[in-house]
Amino acid sequence: MMDFLAAAIRIATPLLLAALGGILSERAGVFAVGLEGMMLAGAFAAAVTAWAADNFAAGILASIAGGALVGVMVAIVTVRMRADNMVTGLAVNILVAGLTSFLARSAGQGGRPASIHLTPLAAWPIPGLSDLPILGPLLFDHPPLTYLAIVACVLMTLFLGRTQIGLTLRATGENPEAVFASGGNPKLVRMLAVIACGGIAGLGGAVLTLQQVGTFTDNMTGGRGYLALASLIVGRWTPVGAAAACLVFGAADAFGLRMQTFGLPASSYVLQMAPYLIALLVLASLGRATRLPASIGRPLD
Amino acid sequence: MRFAIARDSLLPRIALAVALSLLCAAALIALSGHNPFTAFAAMLDGAAGSPHQFGVALNKSTPYLLAGSGVALCFRAGVINIGAEGQIAVGGAGAAATALAWPIDSPLPAILLALAGGAVAGSAWAAVAASIHLARHVHEVLVTLLLNFVAVLLVQQALAGPLGEFGAGFLQSPKMPAPVWLPRAIPGLDAHPGFILGVVLAAGLSFLLWRTRFGFSLRVAGASRPAALYAGFSVARITWGVMLLSGALAGLAGGIEVLGVQRRLIEGFSLGFGFKAVTVALLGALEPLAVVPAALFVGLLEAGSLSMQRQVGVPSSMVAVIEGLTMLFVLAATVRRRTA
Amino acid sequence: MVPLLEMRGIVRTFGAVRANDGIDLDVAAGRIVGLLGENGSGKSTLMKLLFGMLPPDSGTIIFKGRELSGHRPAEAMLAGLAMIHQHFMLIEAMSVVDNVMLGWPAAGKLLRRAAVANQIRGASARFGLDLDPDAKVANLPLGRRQRVEILKAILRGADLLILDEPTSNLAPAEVAGLLTILRRLREEGRGIVFITHKLPEVLDVCDEVVVLRAGRVAGRAPVAGVSRAALAEMMVGRDTTHAHSPDPRPPGAVRLAVRGLRGPGLAGVEFDLHAGEILGVAGVDGNGQIELADTLAGLRRGEGSIVLNGQEIARASVAARMQAGLAYLPADRAQTSLVRAMTIAENFGLRDHAGFLLHPAARTAHAKELMTAYDVRAPGPQTVAARLSGGNAQKIVVGRELDRAPSVVIAHQAAWGLDPGATRFVLDRVVDLRNRGAAVLYISSELEEVLAIGDRVAVLSGGRFAGILSRDKIDLGQIGLWMAGQA
Repeated sequence: MMDFLAAAIRIATPLLLAALGGILSERAGVFAVGLEGMMLAGAFAAAVTAWAADNFAAGILASIAGGALVGVMVAIVTVRMRADNMVTGLAVNILVAGLTSFLARSAGQGGRPASIHLTPLAAWPIPGLSDLPILGPLLFDHPPLTYLAIVACVLMTLFLGRTQIGLTLRATGENPEAVFASGGNPKLVRMLAVIACGGIAGLGGAVLTLQQVGTFTDNMTGGRGYLALASLIVGRWTPVGAAAACLVFGAADAFGLRMQTFGLPASSYVLQMAPYLIALLVLASLGRATRLPASIGRPLD
Repeated sequence: MRFAIARDSLLPRIALAVALSLLCAAALIALSGHNPFTAFAAMLDGAAGSPHQFGVALNKSTPYLLAGSGVALCFRAGVINIGAEGQIAVGGAGAAATALAWPIDSPLPAILLALAGGAVAGSAWAAVAASIHLARHVHEVLVTLLLNFVAVLLVQQALAGPLGEFGAGFLQSPKMPAPVWLPRAIPGLDAHPGFILGVVLAAGLSFLLWRTRFGFSLRVAGASRPAALYAGFSVARITWGVMLLSGALAGLAGGIEVLGVQRRLIEGFSLGFGFKAVTVALLGALEPLAVVPAALFVGLLEAGSLSMQRQVGVPSSMVAVIEGLTMLFVLAATVRRRTA
Repeated sequence: MVPLLEMRGIVRTFGAVRANDGIDLDVAAGRIVGLLGENGSGKSTLMKLLFGMLPPDSGTIIFKGRELSGHRPAEAMLAGLAMIHQHFMLIEAMSVVDNVMLGWPAAGKLLRRAAVANQIRGASARFGLDLDPDAKVANLPLGRRQRVEILKAILRGADLLILDEPTSNLAPAEVAGLLTILRRLREEGRGIVFITHKLPEVLDVCDEVVVLRAGRVAGRAPVAGVSRAALAEMMVGRDTTHAHSPDPRPPGAVRLAVRGLRGPGLAGVEFDLHAGEILGVAGVDGNGQIELADTLAGLRRGEGSIVLNGQEIARASVAARMQAGLAYLPADRAQTSLVRAMTIAENFGLRDHAGFLLHPAARTAHAKELMTAYDVRAPGPQTVAARLSGGNAQKIVVGRELDRAPSVVIAHQAAWGLDPGATRFVLDRVVDLRNRGAAVLYISSELEEVLAIGDRVAVLSGGRFAGILSRDKIDLGQIGLWMAGQA
């Protein structure tokens, strides 16, 4: 049981980071459909850099830069050019999928991707705390990026609720005119939020390559960006809510893996559907009461 | 509303967007140590160098054409339906299930029945999205996006169960009965008639859009919701209309892919098709007839990419780069700047 | 007394319109100055210039002894100006304290929520604002939301508050509360500019009043020595001679009978509209004009009865109402009555419903005829509406709606923003139609236009008709008082 929950937390880690990024973007008023591409760019940059520099820290920094670069693209096209958020997100997702695969394969031979082999980051048990019964293995015996995700979730909550910049960001997603009237620059806020979203989602991608798989493969995010989007909806645009949703989704995934090992493959698809169905259910049951940021998707003059 | 486009200067802008993305692609190819001209030449050769190759390109274009013209119709109406991905998958499963459940010996009725099954399934999946959107006021993009994943998993579930081939070790259905195989019907080319059907349907959609009251009402709704209300058009009815139509077209695309290319339902057979349908719809400036060359462009790129990889060593994933860049550039170049 | 604010010779033009034509305005500390004037008299422009939302063409602004020029709203706020817009600049989903902290440097980079909440409680008690810092703005009535705006100004230390139509959305009890708060601000030595149409409030709270008309100061006086009637007259002016006055004629049968029409913005409108009659509806914007027009045309739902030619249409669709003979010229031409991205021909056919197929050739031919008949000046029927001037665009709407020979026409701001030639054209067409027996409801915030064209004149105030006068009994003083919210 402990193993199962710990697995759920590990599976939830990349989702949570991407969802945290998505919260920044959406609370500032830009739909975060590009999360998938941002994660993938981060995963790629992390793997290549960590491998080339033989340094995980460099990989982690590169993942932030890679995701942020995608964020810059999205920010320019949606905020400056006023294009539709959703379709722009789809476009960068296609672009990044192609670009990462192209670059990986260009570096390799005969159209095959360059062979990147990294030893996935191991768990860093926290001395003392990891020996606690129950809580120890659950919370204090994880690889570093998982701790980072948990810390990021707490920091994000504080940032949004307790800082002037966080307040301005949330206000931009609700009523950009009011932000302007109070002396702020809503366009700039949105652009920075989308770029920061890219950086954090890129970090989520790094979890996949540096901590879980140890290499980069084509399209390795496999829809996790969209899953992160679903989890921030279910979590109703709050970091803690999104974390809870990610954990539920992670648990569903872990449960599906268990089922498979017990030879019950059929139900695993239904389990995989659960996140999307839950997100739909939440949206549909709230209806007009869904508290989407009021100005989300609306371009600024 | 979000896609109100300045008609007069559209074609040059789109041409510029395509040129820019090809330029970026060329730069990337050069950076990866290859000659972009040789690479593009190899691509062109692979796409249209022989009747067989061109047939393959036509087959690849078909689902983009069918689903893309439906997406164009939706976007024209201001309904941002990005659910083609799921509707295509469900449509393929619908066609396969119909063909397997009701085998008919003579080809024409067998094919028509199976394709109808695909179209109905795609339409039904779009109806799920439309009803959640309209009844519960959930943003249509979120509904259609989320339902895509559910659809793909539903098809996998079906392949793992009733639709699957026993003991295949892979998620796929049994081979379709021979009568429902789409013939290689285009003379001289190794292509099924799907592309021609797509052109006919795109022409039909274009007629619907420009020559019928319904088409007019959906264009008004897309340009301004208050104007549609003032004109006395029901936005709900328009939404239902375009969603059901585009769902049917996407379902048909899935059915044709299953009957004409794979000849069985295979897991992930339509991966990315629906998102590319959005690309070609934008590239075709949301005009169904202009989606024809747009779909052909993407089909040719994809058909040619493999030979580019084989002959020159440039990875075929370059195609996705071109598609993504084109989409971004088209978005940046054509969306109107100010709500005047 | 040293003035807090001196504005001298302020000029601002928009194209050919001189919105501000050499205006002087002084506000002293501890004084409330009422700024009166009809729509379009230049009040809003003047305040936008002061607050740095627009640059003036010429003139000087001296605030607290320092000249303000080329400033932007952020600098105006730092200098000690606060503007309270008619549409509140608040985040509804957030609490009062969050709204106060937004963009306020004193709240700290790391927000000092508890301290700010205490300041809010203090200010709230001192000025009788009665605001709970933790209340969510969405749950507050409009009067309280306005107090949040005032609170923001107070806490930021504003010396001069500009309130734009602060009472237009308030219930009477809320208005009384607001006036009390303004008096306390005055006691503290702050200056206030109070923009309004409503005379009772001016007389109640202001120390002096400045009346604008057509971009100029039409009069200024200390409130103590001025009568209500004199103010009303200053505001609406005397010049009502107009070229379009229709010949008097006896009214025909009742075409449109409206009873107890209620809904958001409407508080029980009742009237009869007769064949061959124009009922002009005057009133200050925001008193239910859009709601009345849209509800009659079927774009909004309301309670009550609407009988068109003997047929109840209150539940009928937009299309059914058109079928029954109702034409509608809405105020919003950018989004509602015209589709800017479509051609002239398509816009003429916007409200056609007959037949499944469109007939482009016939439609183009018909559009050509209408373009001639309604003097739409454009290269051809395939010209996109967005390229047309305001006058030509409105002629399309007029042509489309009036050419169907409707029995009842609802016109809202039909000549708003048009040049004199186009205005005259539109008004002439409306009068023509009336002469041919149609009934017209002519809603406009331009009083002179309504007086010129109406066989009878009603005043819409607070979502209902304050009164109706027939043409031969027009009493400007009475109309001014109705418009100013005095029944």
